[in-house]
Amino acid sequence: AQSLSPESVSPRALCSFSSCSSWLPQRIPLRGNHWQSSLLTPRTALPVRAQPKKKKKVDVKREQAQKDRMKKKLKKLERAAPELIPIEDFITPLKYSDGSRVRSLPPLSPEETERRVLLLKKWCLFKQRQDEAEKKAIQTLVESQQEALKELRLESEELYQAAIRRDEGLFPFEREGPTYTPPLPGYDPPEGKCVDITKVYTQ
Amino acid sequence: SAAARRPWRLFGALCLLRLPRITQPLQKEEEEMAALMGQIEVEKSRYSDHEIRKLEEEERLRRRKESLYDDDDEAPGKTVIMAQDLEEKWEQKFLRFEPAPRITDADKNNIRTSLNRKLDSNLMLLVKQKIGNQELWLLPQVEWQPGETLRSTAERAMATFLGDHIQAKVLGNAPYGIYKYKFPKTIRTEDNVGAKVFFFKAFLQSSDFTQTEPKADYLWVTKNELGDYLKPEYLKKVNRFLLD
Repeated sequence: AQSLSPESVSPRALCSFSSCSSWLPQRIPLRGNHWQSSLLTPRTALPVRAQPKKKKKVDVKREQAQKDRMKKKLKKLERAAPELIPIEDFITPLKYSDGSRVRSLPPLSPEETERRVLLLKKWCLFKQRQDEAEKKAIQTLVESQQEALKELRLESEELYQAAIRRDEGLFPFEREGPTYTPPLPGYDPPEGKCVDITKVYTQ
Repeated sequence: SAAARRPWRLFGALCLLRLPRITQPLQKEEEEMAALMGQIEVEKSRYSDHEIRKLEEEERLRRRKESLYDDDDEAPGKTVIMAQDLEEKWEQKFLRFEPAPRITDADKNNIRTSLNRKLDSNLMLLVKQKIGNQELWLLPQVEWQPGETLRSTAERAMATFLGDHIQAKVLGNAPYGIYKYKFPKTIRTEDNVGAKVFFFKAFLQSSDFTQTEPKADYLWVTKNELGDYLKPEYLKKVNRFLLD
Protein backbone atom coordinates (compact mmCIF):
# COMPACT_ATOMS: atom_id res chain seq x y z
CA ALA A 1 0.00 0.00 0.00
CA GLN A 2 2.95 2.40 0.64
CA SER A 3 4.22 2.01 -2.94
CA LEU A 4 1.01 3.59 -4.22
CA SER A 5 1.14 7.31 -4.92
CA PRO A 6 -2.09 9.22 -4.32
CA GLU A 7 -2.53 10.50 -7.97
CA SER A 8 -2.60 7.07 -9.46
CA VAL A 9 -5.50 5.91 -7.36
CA SER A 10 -8.91 6.72 -8.76
CA PRO A 11 -11.45 8.13 -6.32
CA ARG A 12 -13.72 5.14 -6.88
CA ALA A 13 -10.99 2.73 -6.13
CA LEU A 14 -10.18 4.73 -3.03
CA CYS A 15 -13.78 4.56 -1.98
CA SER A 16 -13.99 0.85 -2.36
CA PHE A 17 -10.69 0.41 -0.58
CA SER A 18 -11.65 2.53 2.36
CA SER A 19 -15.16 1.14 2.79
CA CYS A 20 -14.43 -2.38 1.73
CA SER A 21 -18.16 -2.69 1.30
CA SER A 22 -20.18 -4.76 -1.14
CA TRP A 23 -20.77 -1.67 -3.34
CA LEU A 24 -18.72 -2.11 -6.47
CA PRO A 25 -18.34 0.34 -9.37
CA GLN A 26 -19.84 -0.71 -12.70
CA ARG A 27 -16.65 -0.59 -14.66
CA ILE A 28 -14.83 -2.83 -12.30
CA PRO A 29 -17.24 -5.69 -11.75
CA LEU A 30 -16.74 -7.98 -8.77
CA ARG A 31 -13.17 -6.93 -8.36
CA GLY A 32 -13.08 -6.44 -4.65
CA ASN A 33 -10.72 -9.25 -3.77
CA HIS A 34 -8.93 -9.04 -7.05
CA TRP A 35 -8.22 -5.39 -6.47
CA GLN A 36 -6.93 -6.04 -3.03
CA SER A 37 -4.61 -8.66 -4.32
CA SER A 38 -3.44 -6.31 -7.03
CA LEU A 39 -2.49 -3.78 -4.36
CA LEU A 40 0.56 -5.83 -3.80
CA THR A 41 1.29 -6.10 -7.52
CA PRO A 42 2.94 -3.19 -9.35
CA ARG A 43 1.03 -0.09 -10.41
CA THR A 44 0.48 -1.05 -14.08
CA ALA A 45 -2.38 -3.41 -13.18
CA LEU A 46 -4.48 -0.49 -11.94
CA PRO A 47 -6.67 1.42 -14.43
CA VAL A 48 -5.19 4.79 -15.36
CA ARG A 49 -7.26 7.61 -13.97
CA ALA A 50 -7.86 9.79 -17.01
CA GLN A 51 -8.74 7.16 -19.61
CA PRO A 52 -12.26 6.05 -18.59
CA LYS A 53 -13.43 9.66 -18.52
CA LYS A 54 -12.07 10.36 -21.99
CA LYS A 55 -13.79 7.30 -23.35
CA LYS A 56 -17.16 8.40 -22.05
CA LYS A 57 -16.97 11.92 -23.47
CA VAL A 58 -15.79 10.93 -26.89
CA ASP A 59 -18.33 8.13 -27.15
CA VAL A 60 -21.22 10.33 -26.20
CA LYS A 61 -20.11 13.05 -28.61
CA ARG A 62 -19.59 10.61 -31.42
CA GLU A 63 -22.98 9.00 -30.86
CA GLN A 64 -24.73 12.33 -30.79
CA ALA A 65 -23.01 13.40 -34.00
CA GLN A 66 -24.10 10.17 -35.65
CA LYS A 67 -27.68 10.66 -34.53
CA ASP A 68 -27.72 14.21 -35.87
CA ARG A 69 -26.39 13.05 -39.23
CA MET A 70 -29.13 10.37 -39.45
CA LYS A 71 -31.79 12.92 -38.54
CA LYS A 72 -30.54 15.31 -41.20
CA LYS A 73 -30.65 12.55 -43.82
CA LEU A 74 -34.18 11.60 -42.79
CA LYS A 75 -35.33 15.20 -43.02
CA LYS A 76 -33.84 15.54 -46.48
CA LEU A 77 -35.61 12.38 -47.65
CA GLU A 78 -38.91 13.50 -46.22
CA ARG A 79 -38.67 16.88 -47.93
CA ALA A 80 -38.08 15.27 -51.34
CA ALA A 81 -41.29 14.91 -53.43
CA PRO A 82 -42.78 11.40 -53.47
CA GLU A 83 -41.96 9.38 -56.56
CA LEU A 84 -44.79 8.83 -58.97
CA ILE A 85 -46.06 5.28 -59.12
CA PRO A 86 -45.52 3.98 -62.68
CA ILE A 87 -48.60 2.70 -64.52
CA GLU A 88 -47.58 -0.69 -65.86
CA ASP A 89 -50.08 -0.60 -68.74
CA PHE A 90 -48.69 2.58 -70.24
CA ILE A 91 -45.07 1.42 -70.40
CA THR A 92 -44.49 -0.79 -73.44
CA PRO A 93 -41.86 -3.41 -72.62
CA LEU A 94 -38.65 -2.89 -74.60
CA LYS A 95 -38.87 -6.19 -76.43
CA TYR A 96 -41.88 -4.99 -78.43
CA SER A 97 -40.15 -1.95 -79.89
CA ASP A 98 -37.98 -4.31 -81.90
CA GLY A 99 -38.26 -4.05 -85.66
CA SER A 100 -38.65 -7.79 -86.12
CA ARG A 101 -41.96 -7.74 -84.32
CA VAL A 102 -43.79 -5.56 -86.79
CA ARG A 103 -46.66 -7.32 -88.50
CA SER A 104 -46.51 -7.73 -92.24
CA LEU A 105 -49.99 -7.20 -93.65
CA PRO A 106 -51.19 -6.27 -97.11
CA PRO A 107 -52.19 -2.61 -97.40
CA LEU A 108 -55.90 -1.73 -97.15
CA SER A 109 -57.78 -1.49 -100.40
CA PRO A 110 -59.79 1.68 -101.11
CA GLU A 111 -63.04 -0.32 -100.92
CA GLU A 112 -62.09 -1.45 -97.45
CA THR A 113 -61.37 2.08 -96.24
CA GLU A 114 -64.64 3.24 -97.82
CA ARG A 115 -66.56 0.51 -96.01
CA ARG A 116 -64.91 1.39 -92.73
CA VAL A 117 -65.73 5.07 -92.99
CA LEU A 118 -69.38 4.36 -93.83
CA LEU A 119 -69.63 1.87 -90.98
CA LEU A 120 -68.25 4.42 -88.51
CA LYS A 121 -70.85 6.94 -89.66
CA LYS A 122 -73.64 4.40 -89.25
CA TRP A 123 -72.35 3.55 -85.80
CA CYS A 124 -72.35 7.21 -84.83
CA LEU A 125 -76.00 7.53 -85.82
CA PHE A 126 -76.96 4.31 -84.06
CA LYS A 127 -75.33 5.39 -80.83
CA GLN A 128 -76.93 8.83 -81.01
CA ARG A 129 -80.40 7.31 -81.36
CA GLN A 130 -79.72 4.87 -78.51
CA ASP A 131 -78.52 7.65 -76.25
CA GLU A 132 -81.53 9.85 -77.01
CA ALA A 133 -83.94 7.00 -76.33
CA GLU A 134 -82.25 6.35 -72.99
CA LYS A 135 -82.47 10.01 -72.02
CA LYS A 136 -86.14 10.14 -72.96
CA ALA A 137 -86.86 7.03 -70.90
CA ILE A 138 -85.13 8.53 -67.87
CA GLN A 139 -87.08 11.74 -68.39
CA THR A 140 -90.43 9.91 -68.38
CA LEU A 141 -89.40 7.99 -65.29
CA VAL A 142 -88.58 11.17 -63.42
CA GLU A 143 -91.85 12.79 -64.54
CA SER A 144 -93.84 9.77 -63.42
CA GLN A 145 -92.19 9.89 -60.02
CA GLN A 146 -92.86 13.61 -59.63
CA GLU A 147 -96.51 13.08 -60.49
CA ALA A 148 -96.81 10.30 -57.94
CA LEU A 149 -95.21 12.45 -55.25
CA LYS A 150 -97.56 15.36 -56.08
CA GLU A 151 -100.61 13.12 -55.68
CA LEU A 152 -99.22 11.72 -52.47
CA ARG A 153 -98.77 15.20 -51.08
CA LEU A 154 -102.41 15.95 -51.83
CA GLU A 155 -103.31 12.85 -49.90
CA SER A 156 -101.31 13.18 -46.71
CA GLU A 157 -98.34 15.33 -45.73
CA GLU A 158 -97.00 12.71 -43.34
CA LEU A 159 -96.77 10.01 -46.00
CA TYR A 160 -95.17 12.49 -48.36
CA GLN A 161 -92.48 13.33 -45.84
CA ALA A 162 -91.82 9.64 -45.27
CA ALA A 163 -91.54 9.12 -49.03
CA ILE A 164 -89.02 11.87 -49.71
CA ARG A 165 -86.73 10.77 -46.91
CA ARG A 166 -83.36 9.40 -48.07
CA ASP A 167 -83.04 5.63 -48.07
CA GLU A 168 -79.84 4.86 -46.20
CA GLY A 169 -79.80 1.17 -46.97
CA LEU A 170 -79.86 1.63 -50.74
CA PHE A 171 -76.17 2.49 -51.28
CA PRO A 172 -73.62 0.95 -51.60
CA PHE A 173 -75.54 -1.14 -54.10
CA GLU A 174 -73.72 -4.19 -55.44
CA ARG A 175 -74.84 -6.55 -58.14
CA GLU A 176 -73.13 -9.11 -60.37
CA GLY A 177 -73.59 -8.30 -64.00
CA PRO A 178 -74.98 -10.62 -66.68
CA THR A 179 -72.68 -13.16 -68.35
CA TYR A 180 -72.85 -14.60 -71.85
CA THR A 181 -74.25 -17.98 -70.75
CA PRO A 182 -76.22 -18.75 -67.58
CA PRO A 183 -74.41 -20.61 -64.78
CA LEU A 184 -74.05 -24.31 -65.44
CA PRO A 185 -75.66 -26.33 -62.63
CA GLY A 186 -73.30 -28.90 -61.13
CA TYR A 187 -70.17 -27.51 -62.80
CA ASP A 188 -66.95 -28.55 -61.06
CA PRO A 189 -64.17 -26.06 -61.82
CA PRO A 190 -60.65 -27.56 -62.17
CA GLU A 191 -58.41 -27.47 -59.12
CA GLY A 192 -55.57 -25.01 -59.06
CA LYS A 193 -53.83 -22.29 -57.08
CA CYS A 194 -53.87 -18.69 -58.19
CA VAL A 195 -50.59 -16.87 -57.44
CA ASP A 196 -50.90 -13.11 -57.57
CA ILE A 197 -47.73 -11.51 -58.98
CA THR A 198 -48.91 -7.91 -59.29
CA LYS A 199 -46.30 -5.40 -58.20
CA VAL A 200 -47.39 -3.19 -55.33
CA TYR A 201 -45.75 0.22 -55.11
CA THR A 202 -45.62 2.27 -51.91
CA GLN A 203 -44.76 5.94 -51.90
CA SER B 1 -107.46 18.25 -34.87
CA ALA B 2 -108.75 15.22 -36.64
CA ALA B 3 -107.51 14.83 -40.18
CA ALA B 4 -110.23 15.18 -42.78
CA ARG B 5 -111.24 11.89 -44.30
CA ARG B 6 -109.97 11.89 -47.85
CA PRO B 7 -112.30 10.32 -50.39
CA TRP B 8 -109.53 8.29 -52.00
CA ARG B 9 -108.43 4.87 -50.80
CA LEU B 10 -104.72 4.24 -50.91
CA PHE B 11 -103.04 1.11 -52.21
CA GLY B 12 -99.36 0.21 -52.32
CA ALA B 13 -98.21 -1.98 -55.21
CA LEU B 14 -94.81 -3.52 -55.83
CA CYS B 15 -93.23 -4.07 -59.21
CA LEU B 16 -90.82 -6.93 -58.51
CA LEU B 17 -88.14 -7.18 -61.20
CA ARG B 18 -85.96 -10.19 -61.89
CA LEU B 19 -82.85 -8.70 -63.45
CA PRO B 20 -81.34 -10.30 -66.59
CA ARG B 21 -78.85 -13.14 -66.13
CA ILE B 22 -77.30 -13.19 -69.60
CA THR B 23 -76.30 -10.47 -72.03
CA GLN B 24 -78.69 -9.39 -74.75
CA PRO B 25 -77.76 -10.46 -78.28
CA LEU B 26 -75.88 -7.82 -80.25
CA GLN B 27 -77.69 -5.88 -82.93
CA LYS B 28 -76.42 -5.84 -86.49
CA GLU B 29 -74.56 -2.52 -86.24
CA GLU B 30 -73.03 -3.58 -82.94
CA GLU B 31 -71.75 -6.82 -84.43
CA GLU B 32 -70.24 -5.09 -87.45
CA MET B 33 -68.58 -2.54 -85.23
CA ALA B 34 -67.18 -5.21 -82.93
CA ALA B 35 -65.65 -7.01 -85.94
CA LEU B 36 -64.13 -3.78 -87.22
CA MET B 37 -62.64 -2.97 -83.83
CA GLY B 38 -61.08 -6.41 -83.67
CA GLN B 39 -59.54 -5.97 -87.13
CA ILE B 40 -58.07 -2.57 -86.27
CA GLU B 41 -56.64 -3.95 -83.03
CA VAL B 42 -54.89 -6.75 -84.91
CA GLU B 43 -53.53 -4.34 -87.49
CA LYS B 44 -52.08 -2.03 -84.89
CA SER B 45 -50.53 -4.79 -82.78
CA ARG B 46 -47.12 -6.38 -82.72
CA TYR B 47 -46.30 -10.07 -82.85
CA SER B 48 -46.51 -11.93 -79.56
CA ASP B 49 -44.03 -14.63 -78.45
CA HIS B 50 -46.42 -17.38 -79.44
CA GLU B 51 -46.84 -15.99 -82.94
CA ILE B 52 -43.11 -15.57 -83.45
CA ARG B 53 -42.57 -19.17 -82.38
CA LYS B 54 -45.25 -20.29 -84.82
CA LEU B 55 -43.70 -18.33 -87.70
CA GLU B 56 -40.22 -19.70 -87.00
CA GLU B 57 -41.51 -23.26 -86.89
CA GLU B 58 -43.37 -22.85 -90.17
CA GLU B 59 -40.22 -21.43 -91.71
CA ARG B 60 -38.24 -24.41 -90.47
CA LEU B 61 -40.79 -26.89 -91.77
CA ARG B 62 -40.78 -25.24 -95.16
CA ARG B 63 -36.99 -25.31 -95.35
CA ARG B 64 -36.97 -28.94 -94.35
CA LYS B 65 -39.44 -29.84 -97.06
CA GLU B 66 -37.52 -27.99 -99.75
CA SER B 67 -34.14 -29.36 -98.79
CA LEU B 68 -34.33 -33.05 -98.09
CA TYR B 69 -32.00 -33.28 -95.08
CA ASP B 70 -32.59 -32.72 -91.36
CA ASP B 71 -31.37 -29.57 -89.64
CA ASP B 72 -28.25 -29.86 -87.55
CA ASP B 73 -29.75 -28.50 -84.38
CA GLU B 74 -32.54 -31.05 -84.28
CA ALA B 75 -31.36 -34.30 -82.79
CA PRO B 76 -33.21 -37.33 -84.21
CA GLY B 77 -35.69 -38.93 -81.86
CA LYS B 78 -36.44 -35.70 -80.01
CA THR B 79 -40.15 -34.86 -80.07
CA VAL B 80 -40.76 -31.18 -80.51
CA ILE B 81 -44.13 -29.69 -79.63
CA MET B 82 -45.04 -27.23 -82.35
CA ALA B 83 -47.07 -24.14 -81.69
CA GLN B 84 -49.63 -25.38 -84.18
CA ASP B 85 -50.14 -28.56 -82.13
CA LEU B 86 -50.66 -26.53 -79.01
CA GLU B 87 -53.30 -24.43 -80.74
CA GLU B 88 -55.14 -27.50 -81.93
CA LYS B 89 -55.04 -28.96 -78.44
CA TRP B 90 -56.54 -25.80 -77.01
CA GLU B 91 -59.23 -25.77 -79.66
CA GLN B 92 -60.18 -29.35 -78.84
CA LYS B 93 -60.40 -28.58 -75.14
CA PHE B 94 -62.67 -25.62 -75.85
CA LEU B 95 -64.99 -27.65 -78.05
CA ARG B 96 -65.27 -30.29 -75.38
CA PHE B 97 -66.76 -27.78 -72.91
CA GLU B 98 -70.55 -27.52 -73.01
CA PRO B 99 -71.92 -24.28 -71.59
CA ALA B 100 -75.50 -23.96 -70.35
CA PRO B 101 -77.91 -23.03 -73.13
CA ARG B 102 -78.99 -19.43 -73.46
CA ILE B 103 -82.51 -20.41 -74.52
CA THR B 104 -83.88 -22.60 -71.76
CA ASP B 105 -86.64 -25.20 -71.78
CA ALA B 106 -89.01 -22.75 -70.21
CA ASP B 107 -88.43 -20.48 -73.19
CA LYS B 108 -89.22 -23.18 -75.67
CA ASN B 109 -92.42 -24.23 -73.94
CA ASN B 110 -93.41 -20.69 -73.01
CA ILE B 111 -93.98 -21.51 -69.36
CA ARG B 112 -94.79 -18.07 -68.06
CA THR B 113 -94.77 -18.99 -64.39
CA SER B 114 -91.11 -20.00 -64.45
CA LEU B 115 -88.28 -17.63 -63.61
CA ASN B 116 -85.89 -19.34 -66.01
CA ARG B 117 -87.48 -17.81 -69.02
CA LYS B 118 -86.11 -14.90 -71.08
CA LEU B 119 -82.82 -14.75 -69.22
CA ASP B 120 -81.69 -11.67 -71.13
CA SER B 121 -84.52 -9.33 -70.10
CA ASN B 122 -86.28 -8.08 -66.98
CA LEU B 123 -89.18 -10.18 -65.68
CA MET B 124 -92.02 -8.67 -63.67
CA LEU B 125 -94.41 -10.35 -61.29
CA LEU B 126 -98.13 -10.19 -62.12
CA VAL B 127 -100.83 -11.57 -59.83
CA LYS B 128 -104.49 -12.21 -60.39
CA GLN B 129 -106.51 -10.19 -57.91
CA LYS B 130 -110.17 -9.57 -57.31
CA ILE B 131 -111.12 -5.90 -57.55
CA GLY B 132 -114.78 -5.24 -56.98
CA ASN B 133 -116.34 -8.21 -58.70
CA GLN B 134 -113.68 -8.60 -61.41
CA GLU B 135 -110.65 -10.85 -61.50
CA LEU B 136 -107.83 -8.82 -62.95
CA TRP B 137 -104.12 -9.30 -63.62
CA LEU B 138 -102.28 -6.65 -61.65
CA LEU B 139 -99.00 -5.87 -59.99
CA PRO B 140 -99.41 -7.20 -56.44
CA GLN B 141 -101.12 -4.56 -54.31
CA VAL B 142 -102.69 -4.29 -50.86
CA GLU B 143 -104.58 -1.51 -49.17
CA TRP B 144 -102.67 0.97 -47.07
CA GLN B 145 -103.29 0.82 -43.34
CA PRO B 146 -102.83 3.88 -41.14
CA GLY B 147 -99.59 3.78 -39.20
CA GLU B 148 -97.33 2.41 -41.93
CA THR B 149 -95.48 4.10 -44.78
CA LEU B 150 -96.38 3.30 -48.36
CA ARG B 151 -93.11 1.48 -48.85
CA SER B 152 -93.96 -0.97 -46.09
CA THR B 153 -97.37 -1.42 -47.70
CA ALA B 154 -95.63 -2.47 -50.89
CA GLU B 155 -93.36 -4.86 -49.00
CA ARG B 156 -96.40 -6.32 -47.29
CA ALA B 157 -97.97 -6.82 -50.69
CA MET B 158 -94.99 -8.89 -51.78
CA ALA B 159 -95.03 -10.91 -48.57
CA THR B 160 -98.76 -11.59 -48.94
CA PHE B 161 -98.38 -13.09 -52.37
CA LEU B 162 -94.98 -14.71 -52.21
CA GLY B 163 -94.31 -15.43 -48.55
CA ASP B 164 -91.75 -14.09 -46.13
CA HIS B 165 -88.62 -15.75 -47.48
CA ILE B 166 -88.27 -13.62 -50.57
CA GLN B 167 -85.51 -11.04 -50.46
CA ALA B 168 -85.94 -7.96 -52.56
CA LYS B 169 -84.18 -4.61 -52.62
CA VAL B 170 -86.73 -1.81 -52.81
CA LEU B 171 -85.30 1.14 -54.68
CA GLY B 172 -85.92 4.04 -52.34
CA ASN B 173 -88.74 5.37 -50.24
CA ALA B 174 -90.51 7.29 -52.99
CA PRO B 175 -93.17 5.83 -55.29
CA TYR B 176 -92.33 5.51 -58.97
CA GLY B 177 -95.78 5.92 -60.44
CA ILE B 178 -99.43 6.36 -59.63
CA TYR B 179 -102.64 5.00 -61.07
CA LYS B 180 -105.86 6.50 -59.85
CA TYR B 181 -109.32 5.46 -60.81
CA LYS B 182 -112.80 6.29 -59.69
CA PHE B 183 -115.12 3.58 -58.52
CA PRO B 184 -118.16 2.86 -60.73
CA LYS B 185 -121.15 5.04 -59.87
CA THR B 186 -122.93 2.23 -58.10
CA ILE B 187 -120.49 2.02 -55.18
CA ARG B 188 -119.25 5.59 -55.25
CA THR B 189 -120.11 7.56 -52.13
CA GLU B 190 -119.10 10.95 -50.73
CA ASP B 191 -116.30 9.42 -48.74
CA ASN B 192 -115.27 6.74 -51.18
CA VAL B 193 -114.69 8.30 -54.56
CA GLY B 194 -111.96 6.06 -55.87
CA ALA B 195 -108.57 4.58 -55.28
CA LYS B 196 -104.97 5.63 -55.83
CA VAL B 197 -102.40 2.91 -56.43
CA PHE B 198 -98.79 3.89 -55.76
CA PHE B 199 -96.17 1.76 -57.49
CA PHE B 200 -92.80 0.88 -55.99
CA LYS B 201 -89.92 -0.84 -57.76
CA ALA B 202 -87.79 -3.60 -56.28
CA PHE B 203 -85.06 -5.92 -57.55
CA LEU B 204 -85.42 -9.60 -56.76
CA GLN B 205 -82.39 -10.88 -54.93
CA SER B 206 -83.11 -14.37 -53.69
CA SER B 207 -83.33 -16.98 -56.39
CA ASP B 208 -84.60 -19.77 -54.22
CA PHE B 209 -88.29 -20.31 -54.79
CA THR B 210 -88.73 -23.82 -53.43
CA GLN B 211 -90.17 -22.65 -50.15
CA THR B 212 -92.76 -20.28 -51.55
CA GLU B 213 -96.32 -21.33 -52.05
CA PRO B 214 -97.94 -18.54 -53.98
CA LYS B 215 -101.37 -17.64 -52.72
CA ALA B 216 -102.80 -16.75 -56.09
CA ASP B 217 -102.18 -17.15 -59.79
CA TYR B 218 -98.97 -15.45 -60.74
CA LEU B 219 -96.91 -14.84 -63.84
CA TRP B 220 -93.47 -13.55 -64.66
CA VAL B 221 -93.61 -11.46 -67.82
CA THR B 222 -91.38 -9.11 -69.76
CA LYS B 223 -92.28 -5.51 -70.56
CA ASN B 224 -93.45 -6.40 -74.05
CA GLU B 225 -95.79 -9.09 -72.80
CA LEU B 226 -97.43 -6.82 -70.24
CA GLY B 227 -99.85 -5.68 -72.89
CA ASP B 228 -101.40 -9.18 -72.99
CA TYR B 229 -102.54 -8.96 -69.40
CA LEU B 230 -102.96 -5.41 -68.19
CA LYS B 231 -105.75 -2.98 -68.94
CA PRO B 232 -104.74 -0.18 -71.33
CA GLU B 233 -104.93 2.73 -68.85
CA TYR B 234 -103.08 0.78 -66.17
CA LEU B 235 -100.52 -0.36 -68.71
CA LYS B 236 -99.86 3.20 -69.82
CA LYS B 237 -99.05 4.28 -66.29
CA VAL B 238 -96.89 1.25 -65.59
CA ASN B 239 -94.89 1.57 -68.80
CA ARG B 240 -93.78 5.06 -67.82
CA PHE B 241 -91.53 3.89 -65.02
CA LEU B 242 -90.22 0.71 -66.59
CA LEU B 243 -86.86 0.97 -68.34
CA ASP B 244 -86.30 -1.85 -70.74
